[in-house]
Amino acid sequence: MADPLPPSAGGFLLRRSEWALLAAIVLAVALTAVVDANHSYWFQPLASLRDIARSTAMLGIFALGAAVVIIAGGIDLSAGSMIALSTTVCASTMLALAPTEMVGFKPVGGAVVVAGCLASLLAGFLVGTLHTWLITAVRLPPFIATLATLVGLRSLARALATSTTAALLPTKNSQINVYDPMFKVVRDNVWIPVAVFGVLAFITWLLLTRTVLGRHIHALGGNEQAARLAGIRTDNVKWFAYCYAAMTAALAGLFYVANESVAAPANQARGHELNAIAAAVVGGCSLSGGVGTVPGTVLGTIFLRVVIDAVSKVIKTESEIYEGLIVGVVVVLAVTFSQVGQMAKGGRRLLPGALGLCAIPALALLAGGVVAMTASPRAGLAAGLAAAVCLGALKAWEARRDTTARPA
Amino acid sequence: MTTPPTDHGFGGTAIMMRGITKRFPGVVALDDVSLDVRRGELHAICGENGAGKSTLMKILSGVYRPDAGTLMIHGLSARFTGTRDAERAGVAIIHQELNLVEDLSVAANVFLGRERRGGLGFIDDATMEDETARILRMLECGVSPRARAGGLRVGDQQLVEIAKALSLDASILVMDEPTSALTEAESARLERTIQRLRERGTTILYISHKMDEVFRLADRMTVLRDGRHVRTVDRAATTPREITGWMVGREIAGHSFHEPRPRGDKLLEVERLTLPWPEHPRGYRLSDVSLDLRAGEIVGVAGLMGAGRTELLETIFGVSPPGWKGEIRIDGRPERFAHPSEACAAGIAMVTEDRKRLGLFPDLDVAGNVSLCSLAEAARGGLLSRAREEALVAGPIRDTGVKTPGPHAAITGLSGGNQQKCIIGRWLLTEPRILLLDDPTRGIDVGAKAELYALIDRLCRRGMGVLLTSSELPELLTLSDRILVLAEGRLTAEFSRAEATEHKILEAATG
Repeated sequence: MADPLPPSAGGFLLRRSEWALLAAIVLAVALTAVVDANHSYWFQPLASLRDIARSTAMLGIFALGAAVVIIAGGIDLSAGSMIALSTTVCASTMLALAPTEMVGFKPVGGAVVVAGCLASLLAGFLVGTLHTWLITAVRLPPFIATLATLVGLRSLARALATSTTAALLPTKNSQINVYDPMFKVVRDNVWIPVAVFGVLAFITWLLLTRTVLGRHIHALGGNEQAARLAGIRTDNVKWFAYCYAAMTAALAGLFYVANESVAAPANQARGHELNAIAAAVVGGCSLSGGVGTVPGTVLGTIFLRVVIDAVSKVIKTESEIYEGLIVGVVVVLAVTFSQVGQMAKGGRRLLPGALGLCAIPALALLAGGVVAMTASPRAGLAAGLAAAVCLGALKAWEARRDTTARPA
Repeated sequence: MTTPPTDHGFGGTAIMMRGITKRFPGVVALDDVSLDVRRGELHAICGENGAGKSTLMKILSGVYRPDAGTLMIHGLSARFTGTRDAERAGVAIIHQELNLVEDLSVAANVFLGRERRGGLGFIDDATMEDETARILRMLECGVSPRARAGGLRVGDQQLVEIAKALSLDASILVMDEPTSALTEAESARLERTIQRLRERGTTILYISHKMDEVFRLADRMTVLRDGRHVRTVDRAATTPREITGWMVGREIAGHSFHEPRPRGDKLLEVERLTLPWPEHPRGYRLSDVSLDLRAGEIVGVAGLMGAGRTELLETIFGVSPPGWKGEIRIDGRPERFAHPSEACAAGIAMVTEDRKRLGLFPDLDVAGNVSLCSLAEAARGGLLSRAREEALVAGPIRDTGVKTPGPHAAITGLSGGNQQKCIIGRWLLTEPRILLLDDPTRGIDVGAKAELYALIDRLCRRGMGVLLTSSELPELLTLSDRILVLAEGRLTAEFSRAEATEHKILEAATG
């Protein structure tokens, strides 16, 4: 009997695709060190490392939650709004418990900080429970349920910030400033979020690979009906998964408060849920569920942040404009590369028929436009033409292969 | 485009296959199959499940591409990349599985993907409905073209599938077990339609398990076994017995199961079970079904597709919505399981019907699939141990005779029979006393089937009670001590092993 391993499996310690991701990270760092005009990776390695470590840890904490939900066959679109709610709940609780200290920029005391953090985590648990209720009892598709909370929770957080400040402060405000020294310590010591991320990653890895619940999460994502028919309480497994996602987002929210010294629900972490999903997908999680690993998710997060950092180093001004574009391109490329083997084997075409023909100018325009805006119009024109020529050659090669080399 | 058939006699060759080979991971579904089908004939393809009939038909209709070999339709080389190519070449297929969009009307389903359009390019429902009505009239089917497809009886849905293929006006029609869900009257109507199509010169490839049907309709027959072509013969030159012999290739070791097994206490009693079906005209999936099962007994449940076999097992196992009426007693205690986990705890196990859809976890390895229901035993202090899990699954893998390269091989690399043994092994680990088997040998080759029969018999001798359904009557007749027959959700007959014959069961199932 043949023993065909799934394409992603195999390899020592990490899966083959994860080694490839690791190599891509190293390559991206090396390229940036060379291409960056200031050579900041070379001259200020520690500062650069600190930046990337912080941003990776902040994203990674709730990317792990996103990965658990995705492996369980669901999706949580609400993480960004959950973070906003978490920051606001934390700040509001502290404001309620110690209004004078908060206003006077004085330390509020350990007990109040702990209460604020616990309130945030509790909010995460409640939101996760709400998601599970909507999905299993009301039977909304996970996409719809968490789309509703994506929009709703941010609004709720803004309302909470406004009403708390209106009730406790002389003037109402849309954000709450947090100056407690404990949060400053967290902000100034990058190892704290990194350590939390590391511990959480280890716990999640242990959970997914070494516990009954983890196996049930994989089974649920791989085949929900079969899991139920095997006697697995699928609703309870979902409850755990959605709570894990919401509570990791709540935990990440605490680091947002520390990092920005403010709970600003209007814009804090807006859109970051998609970065978390992207990190999980780049790391090998399948959106159809059942497939994914913690090492992959961690590497996916690092890769995403490294590439974003690389582009900001290379493009000096307004690099944050391009963040979304980078995430999009990285996701598409990562998932496409993971399928290259199957594509070649199955004789699948990347540019089929009329669709392929129209995709060539779309892709060439995109490439040319981006290069024109970041470098120069002339470079953009060259890049666009080069892309068009390459894709055209690919299209011609595919058409030739299909007419001549079809299996007889 | 191929040339339309000019010769409606027996002169030309409609389909010529040479050396067709198709492999799937772990199995060779077709191995060097060559076959000629004459223009205008009705050619039956016979073979056990897993013999490769359906794969061959899917290659003919463009669903699969062969790995090797050539296919000629009406003398022209055919390289189909999809069903649309096959339809253009004049080949239409009536699939065994229903492929209807339940929320669309009958007419919309018949013309799905080939919608008729009016002058302005808008969809022309009136024309499609007229044409559908004409085809349905030919099938002597009274369903309205505007009816919602999902609301029809299974038999009518099958007729809509047939109408879909007929609407193509194909010169070659492939019928993959078209009567599996039809009552006797509906089958007779279908046979009259087939006669009419043959008068128009349509070439028909006909797949069926039912020997009497095949011998009534076919001009020639081809027998496939284990993916290989065994032989092609004229109907006049053979007998059903001979065909069956070629299909099976050897005697299934069936006689040993007729030794009486020690009978124990009543494990399971079902009394006046009624399972409602609100959105359906019939109103119920099961109505007033009663049965009992003793330790050491195998009770078979026969019935056509949609008769309620699966629903009966699912209700016992706690899968069905809780609205059912009646009583289910385990060891004399009334139980209403709200979730399969409660049924498991009470000592019931269920091997589901559709292995791929309802039983298998393709992303877990062999050990993961087997240990799933008893994982807690492989954990210490909350953490799973690889060694303990391997030790746990070694027993059932040996007992059920799974052939696997190792406990951590991919489950998708095993053959259907070995996958099924893994799933049975999964349930044996829970040490059940009642085993519900829903069509356990579907899509499994003959050799593995015989092994599964022996396994089921062995389990029963250890005192397990087995409730078994099957789409194959010989299987029920081989294994069961008693056979219950369901028709449209009602229990219509009960036979002891001695009384039961295929004919009697079929009569009760279509009654």
